[in-house]
Amino acid sequence: MSKDKNILLKLENITKYFGDIKALDNVSLDVEKGEKVVIVGPSGSGKSTLLRSVNMLEKVDQGHIFFEGKEVGYRFKKGKRLPDTPKNISFLRSETGMVFQHFNLFPHMTAMQNVMEGPVTVKKKSKEAAAEIAKKVLAKVGLSDKKDVHPVKLSGGQKQRVAIARALAMEPKLMLFDEPTSALDPELVGEVFNTIKSLAAEGMTMVIVTHQMGFAKEIADRVIFMEDGVFVEQGTPKEFFSSAQTNKRISDFISTIL
Amino acid sequence: MKFVKIILIIAFAVSVSSVLYADNSQVFIKAGNLVASGSFDEAIETLQQIPPPEKGGNTKDYVKAQLKIAKLSHALKNFKTAKKASANAIKADPDNTEAKQFLKSVKRESTPDYILFFTDAVRFLPSLLKGALMTFILVIVTMAVSPVGGLFIALGRISRFKPFSILCWFIIWFFRGTPLLLQLFFIYYGLPALGITLSPIYAALIGLGINYSAYLAEIIRAGIQSIDSGQMEAAKALGMTYSQAMKRIVIPQTYKRLIPPIGNEFIALIKDTALVSTISMVELMRSADRLFNTYFNINVLILAAVIYLLFTTFFTFIFEHMEKRVGIYEQR
Repeated sequence: MSKDKNILLKLENITKYFGDIKALDNVSLDVEKGEKVVIVGPSGSGKSTLLRSVNMLEKVDQGHIFFEGKEVGYRFKKGKRLPDTPKNISFLRSETGMVFQHFNLFPHMTAMQNVMEGPVTVKKKSKEAAAEIAKKVLAKVGLSDKKDVHPVKLSGGQKQRVAIARALAMEPKLMLFDEPTSALDPELVGEVFNTIKSLAAEGMTMVIVTHQMGFAKEIADRVIFMEDGVFVEQGTPKEFFSSAQTNKRISDFISTIL
Repeated sequence: MKFVKIILIIAFAVSVSSVLYADNSQVFIKAGNLVASGSFDEAIETLQQIPPPEKGGNTKDYVKAQLKIAKLSHALKNFKTAKKASANAIKADPDNTEAKQFLKSVKRESTPDYILFFTDAVRFLPSLLKGALMTFILVIVTMAVSPVGGLFIALGRISRFKPFSILCWFIIWFFRGTPLLLQLFFIYYGLPALGITLSPIYAALIGLGINYSAYLAEIIRAGIQSIDSGQMEAAKALGMTYSQAMKRIVIPQTYKRLIPPIGNEFIALIKDTALVSTISMVELMRSADRLFNTYFNINVLILAAVIYLLFTTFFTFIFEHMEKRVGIYEQR
């Protein structure tokens, strides 16, 4: 199947419980190489959980995850689901960059050291090679001049751009953005979006969870509306926003966040 | 006639000597009466009449008189006369121990307190400092060992490997829950019954090391758990293993938070080392205790307190400096 060859990430019938609550209910999703998928929906709908399941920050209870056609994340022993070996999980994570709502920069390291940390510690690159990469990605997010600054001295937008650079330094095949602008002052949202947009223009595959409808419209190849752990609606931005007018749940949601 | 002459000479000699003798005893009786009536100064003057042996006086009476003068002047707080009189007594009778001791105590009493303190310091410091060096060694070794032990126990406590976690919980429970003194006794006096005999220094270091590891373990655990869970997630998302994330990301961020409470524990440690004096370790407290029991001199204890204070001040300063340096990245 030539189409499958193009699929970078495949989620198959993912179900996840938090206690008695079903956070993800039999969710399936294919993401093609270069595709930009934006997931929207009210809080508690399971969008972050879905994103975090991809790189094993959450462990799912049912279903399968395929990355580049190979099943990842779990071993199955006598029908029992076990997390994959730390080495395999670590490899999967190193291939998928993640950007968090609260940046989670390492405060005890400078911007440069933050970015170098992955290549040095995980990929065992030399300091010189890592510094080379770090300079490149910091330039890409427009923060070359802040390379020796600790996170405490950066604005929220700058922090998030360093966090993006940190993820990019691992040269990931897939980027996961978990509400990357939700913790930012409104005037700082733009610089982070522009960084993500330029990354998109380079052909990076992305799954983005966001509340920013305008941004979703602009960047997405596909928009998914999620609620109560299921995909309620999905389509191209054009399809999505026209169906939003007919689907009451989506129009309600959009009116609450606008 | 000759016979009468001899009788007269003998009678004269006897009467002269008896008069001389009677003269001194009269002086002592007179002086005694004067003391009884409260006229100390006059009593002293009376006693001064007894001549020194070089002027033909009786050595025994002279020494007796001078000692009495010394004691009376001492009672009158006239230390100068007291010193002079007892020195006179010693000069006349160099073997008189009473006079010697009296002179010593008068000299001590008449010296100003601050000078006395410094002379005592010069006298006692060498052996106190020897003890202080041992205290310093105990403190430094425990400070080096217990954070490592504490980190190990703390990581065990938060480990998901249950047997290890329970073992570490038990260590903390036991060593925080019993007196350090009891633990030291057990290690030094109890372990030989199990065939393990330790020299005092090893027993002391093991006791202090384990006890402080157990205390620090809880501080370190709290420190690790106080770091935002997003840090561990971000590290994992980069592909780090748990131990890499701990070592590179989480633990370095705990340093600033850990220095104040651990510094606090270490100040307590400096004073807790005094407990090992009970298992025949000669350290500062034990040295002070020995000197005090020999000389009953309170300055020994004051000197020991000063040395302890110097230690605690020194380490307080070091910890404050470290806290500032380690937390430099938090300064905007």
